[in-house]
Amino acid sequence: MKRNRTIQAAVAVIGVLAVAVPLSAQLKSPDDVKTALRLLVQVSNDFKRQITNKNFSRVPHEYMEYTEAADALRSAIKDEPAAFKSKVETRLKAAVTAAQHVSDMSGTASDADKLMAEHAKAVTAMNAVFELFPADLRPDPNTPPPGRRGRS
Amino acid sequence: MTPSLSRRALLRALLAGLMPLTACRRRTPPAPKKDVDLFIASDGDFLAFRPDELTCPAGAHVHLTFHHTGKFLNAVHNWVLVQPGQMEAVDKYAEKHDGAVAPGDPRVIAVAPMCGKGETVRTEFIAPAAGDYPFFCSTPGHAEDMNGILHVTK
Repeated sequence: MKRNRTIQAAVAVIGVLAVAVPLSAQLKSPDDVKTALRLLVQVSNDFKRQITNKNFSRVPHEYMEYTEAADALRSAIKDEPAAFKSKVETRLKAAVTAAQHVSDMSGTASDADKLMAEHAKAVTAMNAVFELFPADLRPDPNTPPPGRRGRS
Repeated sequence: MTPSLSRRALLRALLAGLMPLTACRRRTPPAPKKDVDLFIASDGDFLAFRPDELTCPAGAHVHLTFHHTGKFLNAVHNWVLVQPGQMEAVDKYAEKHDGAVAPGDPRVIAVAPMCGKGETVRTEFIAPAAGDYPFFCSTPGHAEDMNGILHVTK
């Protein structure tokens, strides 16, 4: 009876500890992952800005940066288990393909609304990547970028 | 003593006599400009300057160093200091010219050239009159987030 209680207590302690340790601690390079996810959001926002400003010729450049941010994420998870890397890669590829579609469209389209609709699809694909990572590493969409955000 | 030497001696004496007078009329030489070193960097690959506020005294000879601390993205950055209220207009021009600032633009006080990740560039300028002067990165699309203020003190 006493032994059972001891085992139960031990299991409870392990359970509490498991919950208390943040999920991000299970990743080998949580800071690099956090940076890479933030970069994806930053470049995605730049896409949006160039489309809004009808600066379509800059959109392919943003796509190039998006692929670089995707590579930063690949590098950040290189030491993770193969199954996890494979899951991320599948969704990341989908996100990059969606971004490429926006870039390709920008070469001929002059309709900002159409491009924005396509960009929204790319954002959905990007969010699917984020879902694979602990919440404390995901960029907060409501947080403004680190810059001053203002013109004088 | 030959007559030519005596004339020369006379001339020397005359000049020596005038020297104190000219010295009196000369203005006090301007105080040498104070040299100030400023350092600024990008916030890694993010669109921000660190720090985003700098300070120097008016009239100082400023030596500014800008370091691009990015590691992942191949985006280039620069540092452009402009007259108050001119950032948007200068940036608009740069957006249409692949980030370039018009040479001799009177709205522009100083420019540190474009550089890639890991690179460092420098510029020098004489700090303008006291006031707050905006600076920004003129790569198209960067200025909105990547900007700051140079506080020039009296």
